Amino acid sequence: MAADASTQVTELTADDHACLTFGETEELFDLTAAFVRDGLAAGLKVMWLSDAGPGIAVKELTRRGVAVEPALSAGQLAADGCEERFLSGWSFSADAAVGWLSGQLAASRQQGFPGLRIAVDMSWALRPVSGVEELPRFEEGIAAALSGTTASVLCQYDRERFDPVTLASVGGFHTRSVAAATYYADAKLRICRQYAPPGIRIAGEIDFQSAEPLAQALAEEVRLDGDETVNMASLAFIDARCTMMIAEAVRTMAAAGRKVTLRCPPEVAPGFARLGVADVPGLRLVSADE
Amino acid sequence: MSDENPSPAGPPANSPRSGRDSAPPEPLSLQQPFDRDSLYALRAAVSAHAAAAGLSSQRVYDVVAVAHELAANAVVHGPGHGQLRLWANDGLLYCQVRDSGAASRSAAEKKTVWPSQPGHGLWVVGQVADKVSVDRGDSGTIVTACFATGGRAGRPLHSRSRNTPDRARNANRVPRGPSPASPC
Repeated sequence: MAADASTQVTELTADDHACLTFGETEELFDLTAAFVRDGLAAGLKVMWLSDAGPGIAVKELTRRGVAVEPALSAGQLAADGCEERFLSGWSFSADAAVGWLSGQLAASRQQGFPGLRIAVDMSWALRPVSGVEELPRFEEGIAAALSGTTASVLCQYDRERFDPVTLASVGGFHTRSVAAATYYADAKLRICRQYAPPGIRIAGEIDFQSAEPLAQALAEEVRLDGDETVNMASLAFIDARCTMMIAEAVRTMAAAGRKVTLRCPPEVAPGFARLGVADVPGLRLVSADE
Repeated sequence: MSDENPSPAGPPANSPRSGRDSAPPEPLSLQQPFDRDSLYALRAAVSAHAAAAGLSSQRVYDVVAVAHELAANAVVHGPGHGQLRLWANDGLLYCQVRDSGAASRSAAEKKTVWPSQPGHGLWVVGQVADKVSVDRGDSGTIVTACFATGGRAGRPLHSRSRNTPDRARNANRVPRGPSPASPC
């Protein structure tokens, strides 16, 4: 199956071998949390092998609403570093790694899970690991190992740090390409969908000149159901026009009975408070650190 | 600057400037022209200088917000460009934006599906700054906002909520009315 353009992380199914590209850590954690959350909800065994380490992984998943502790206790979730799993010190072997994956799939079946989901942060391949040239063969091996199984693997590549040649060489072995739905992105501003918890994320600096993509993002969120988070934790500046637009949109959502959370840095919060947002029932204005 | 709700306000009696074209009383810390494409750089420069003046991170953000809204007003409703000056004097940080006053049709904001509220940016300026004065004349508009730096002026002006007289009360300032359309 050839990789298609822009699958949402929430659309992945069993035996998918998806290639997730991310531009910043916040995006990686968000998309991974959605992948883990949906896997746990489906009763699958879920593993996340990351560079962040188990402590940070657990904290970031918890912050995004994933019930981590009970899943860890029940053996349904595992969060580890890549070194402990399919790297052997500073060396990598594609055959050994694919063998490890097949072993995990068999083990999850024996444990009674109907399937397995593994997210793998591939940042280890940026380090001087011997055998890293086997990366395409590893991806090819995963594709073969997953075919017809109930396991799915989400390989996570930092698109800023991996060179385009490497990304292109591994891309063809994936069944899907996953990235956050993006409304706007340039060097100063990024407006994209957030998956866990659902909503939108605005990072950088935004003013009236980006009102159009902001309006598009907000209009889509207004049309949806369920709780909403507008994540502005990495927003360094927002002008009066865009503050007003967001305030109007979240008032509409709250009026429809949806719980809305506005998360922003302490310097930005007064702009929303000034418009009375904090007093609207169902609407929470919280600090970026909470 | 020709905002969408022009105020009849003339030169303020208690202007921080002694005359329309006079230089600020202390050396300028920043003087920067701006247009639509340079608002990001303008904000970065204002942020650096406001931080150097000793303001808290919240007040640095507020100065940047005020500078942006005044400049954006000149860009969207005025000639499309202008000049920003920033200087400190006697415990106050002054942020002044001047433009030639003539509205440019090409500078007008592109309409979006989301309705905008004219004058809202200037309402925010009035809410955030400790004092604002507007000087409209034949050669253009000068808006000056000032912020207490907690220096020689003593108690910060933005503590005025305690209902005690302070310099802010004597200033020719933008009314703190509830309407977002309050003119500057």
